[in-house]
Amino acid sequence: MKNENKLKGRDLINIGIYGAIYFVILFAVAMLGMIPIFLPLLSVLVPILGGIPFMLFLTKVKKPGMIFIMAMIMGILMLLTGMGPWPLLTCAIAGILSELCFKSGNYRSAKKAVLCYGLFSMWIFGNYLPLFTDYEGYFAQRADYGQAYIDAVQKLMPLWMAPVLLIACFVCGLLGGLLGRAILKKHFEKAGLA
Amino acid sequence: MAYSAEKAQEKRRGFLDPRTKLALVLVLALFVMGGLGGDQLKGIKTILSVLPFLLLLIERQWKRFARGVAMLIVGYGLLLAMPYLPGILNYLALMCGGILTRFVVTIVMGEYLIATTSVSEFISAMERLHMPQAITIPMSVMFRLFPTIGSEWRSIRRAMAMRGIRLGGARAGQVLEYQLVPMMTSTVRIGEELSASALTRGLGAPTGRTNICRIGFRVADVLLLAGCAFAIVVWILELCGVTLW
Repeated sequence: MKNENKLKGRDLINIGIYGAIYFVILFAVAMLGMIPIFLPLLSVLVPILGGIPFMLFLTKVKKPGMIFIMAMIMGILMLLTGMGPWPLLTCAIAGILSELCFKSGNYRSAKKAVLCYGLFSMWIFGNYLPLFTDYEGYFAQRADYGQAYIDAVQKLMPLWMAPVLLIACFVCGLLGGLLGRAILKKHFEKAGLA
Repeated sequence: MAYSAEKAQEKRRGFLDPRTKLALVLVLALFVMGGLGGDQLKGIKTILSVLPFLLLLIERQWKRFARGVAMLIVGYGLLLAMPYLPGILNYLALMCGGILTRFVVTIVMGEYLIATTSVSEFISAMERLHMPQAITIPMSVMFRLFPTIGSEWRSIRRAMAMRGIRLGGARAGQVLEYQLVPMMTSTVRIGEELSASALTRGLGAPTGRTNICRIGFRVADVLLLAGCAFAIVVWILELCGVTLW
């Protein structure tokens, strides 16, 4: 029994494949975040669009650890793309939570899969954390984007936005999960992928 | 007598060790793009920003070098033109310029890492860092797949644009479904083939792996790693409130 639960090469490669798709979508959407109005909206767009590859990924998850590894890899990639060390922390927490959630459904329950993706999406909040933990410093570093940019972002991101964004990540994660499941049924099952 | 394959590997050996490249990407991401550190690090940041371009030249990646320089020129051009532009264009130019000049360097470094590192070199470097397989295998699959996803996406976009499924086209609303879904389907298919071929070659086997790639630190690596360490030390000192110059 123990041996069956060990991650094999194929599982790890699957994490890589779906992680790559998830990251490309995340990256394409995150580019929009350069425009101030889209910065808070990232916590809506990324979870919703990312839901499609993630729900497909969950159909391949049958063993413990895969979701957690996926989360940690996202954290490492965020570190390499200049988001700082905070996402690593949120990724670890969100990874463990979503792992436990999906495990409680025996890696099969469709409802738990949606909930699992909602929990997983909360890691995105880590990208906002440097803004809220060091409000003044964050804008001092971005002085070269111009005062107009800073004013716009400050107006959009007052401190009370922090919990709102976290909740937005979770709720939109749920929506993304539902969207992902709908697309899964409509397209991927027909194509024999899910 | 060395095997000819070993000689070929020695010839193909890159200028830098993959570990050095990773360290450079990290330092650039933290300091140049992430904007950590204050006045004390200004000089170091300038030197760091020039590095990726030099490296591309050393490895004779002319195209990538030209693209990076072009992006930089556009960025600084916007910043220079900014004071002469009216109203809203002014802000836009400042924002785009600021973002471009900050991001280009790290993007160029990332391109350099991906363009000059083979998957085996990457895995072998990660093994020497004692990274667990659970991290190295997915990461190397991802680095292998990024260019593939890019080219798949481009072709699918072109095919769908012919049917009017594009942003600004007649059926813009369907972009999401009919661009993302085929992109994912084909990526997963390619990935499955990749995984079959990697497994037959023993990826993830319980025994240790051998690797023909020659990696290791040489003079350039040592110098650059020392530079990275220096930047981090200066930054920590600055956080502690020590003024160096």
